Amino acid sequence: MAHETEHTSHHPSFNQYVLIAIVLFAITIVEFVLIWDTARIVDHLGPSKIPLLVALSAVKFAIVIMYYMHLKFDNRLLGAVFIAGLALAFLVGMALIALFVGFEGNPRDYAEARALPYAEHAEETVGGESTETNHETDTPPVAAGPVAIAVSAAGETLAFDISSISADSGSEVTLTLDNPSANNAHNLVIVTAGTKDAVAADGTAAGPANDWVSPGDSRVIAHTALAGPGASANVTFEAPSPGTYQFVCTFPGHNFTMFGDFIVK
Amino acid sequence: MAHAVEQEYTTTGLNHRKLLMWVFLGSDCLFFASLIATYMVYRGQSLVGPYPNDIIDVPVTTISTFVLLMSSFAMVQALAATNADNRKATINWLLATALLGSIFIGFQIVEFNTFKNEGLTLGGNLFGASFFTLTGFHGAHVTLGIIWLLALAILGMKGRINSKTALDVELCGLYWHFVDIVWIVIFTLLYLIAGFDVGPVAIPGG
Ligand SMILES: [Cu+2]
Repeated sequence: MAHETEHTSHHPSFNQYVLIAIVLFAITIVEFVLIWDTARIVDHLGPSKIPLLVALSAVKFAIVIMYYMHLKFDNRLLGAVFIAGLALAFLVGMALIALFVGFEGNPRDYAEARALPYAEHAEETVGGESTETNHETDTPPVAAGPVAIAVSAAGETLAFDISSISADSGSEVTLTLDNPSANNAHNLVIVTAGTKDAVAADGTAAGPANDWVSPGDSRVIAHTALAGPGASANVTFEAPSPGTYQFVCTFPGHNFTMFGDFIVK
Repeated sequence: MAHAVEQEYTTTGLNHRKLLMWVFLGSDCLFFASLIATYMVYRGQSLVGPYPNDIIDVPVTTISTFVLLMSSFAMVQALAATNADNRKATINWLLATALLGSIFIGFQIVEFNTFKNEGLTLGGNLFGASFFTLTGFHGAHVTLGIIWLLALAILGMKGRINSKTALDVELCGLYWHFVDIVWIVIFTLLYLIAGFDVGPVAIPGG
């Protein structure tokens, strides 16, 4: 009780509260002018505007909790409880940001590069591949004349139903992509060996208007349009010189699991 | 001015309700920090538009920020009037705070609607998802505060708010100011700093 009475008398007066409000307003105006392009200050500041803006808002934050919320005049335990929460909150935020920005901003790449196959999954994959291998040997689409090859997305899974396709060099290949998924869009892009991720990254930058393929990309041999859910797309091209190429879906993120080899004999 | 309110004995010498409010506010910091950090992690990661630079209107939001700052001032006056046993001023300042809060929410409704019409949706891209989640939860906090303020104003009209029960107003004030400081952070990060982001380009340092 004694505390309360004693401290209450230290509360700012009406005029002081008005002053505090004016200071808060003034800081907000300064912040606005800092980023207002008409004021031209932002051009000079460059990236240094960020620490400046953060500092100004921290000052406002402190003024409100100290004066409006009376932490300056109140029992220190109340402040300690709040500051503890605030500090934890700050750490959680920083940890989250560090986690995602730390791996060169791409935790998914980081994880893909270091992924260890889970035993059960590995078995499934092996089983799946063996049937696909049969499939390949059963119907090797190797012919001198025009060849039709069908590739399908594996349902809702971000994978193709086949891991390898082949054709003879110089033959006219018609590649059909079937997309049975109810949600995902896919495309099928033939690229030179080892370039699938780089092509997909450039495709992401090129955007959906270009079917997620960078126009004029020299690594791209051929590509279908984007096949929406339930749709198909095809492309006809002449099989290039013998060698191993890759086929990949360049819809953002799909390239890590949706790809296979295109072998030209 | 003195708090003549009867206080129960506590080992800390502090009122339990007030301590509880501060604990709640401390934990609410964690809630908002998670949402803010999520926004920062996804910043610049949207693959399709609209991007912040296409739709964020900093001047308009600066005005609504002023409105919210003004409401905090009104809240302080409401508590001062309560402590001074000035019933009429208490009710008026409480209503003024609620009104200013409602204007802020009005700005937000118009903003959300404009953004929706320009193609920003919760499920459209990462910017929309993280933006609406964060500012939406803040708006919900403000709305709850408005209801609390109106309830207090009604109690005031019934003559149940005075210097003996000033803690009721003080707790609402703490909550209200907290919502204000959360907005100070959101305004700086989402509008002043990240409001001019363009395109799906990863921004180092989040
Ligand atoms: Cu795909």
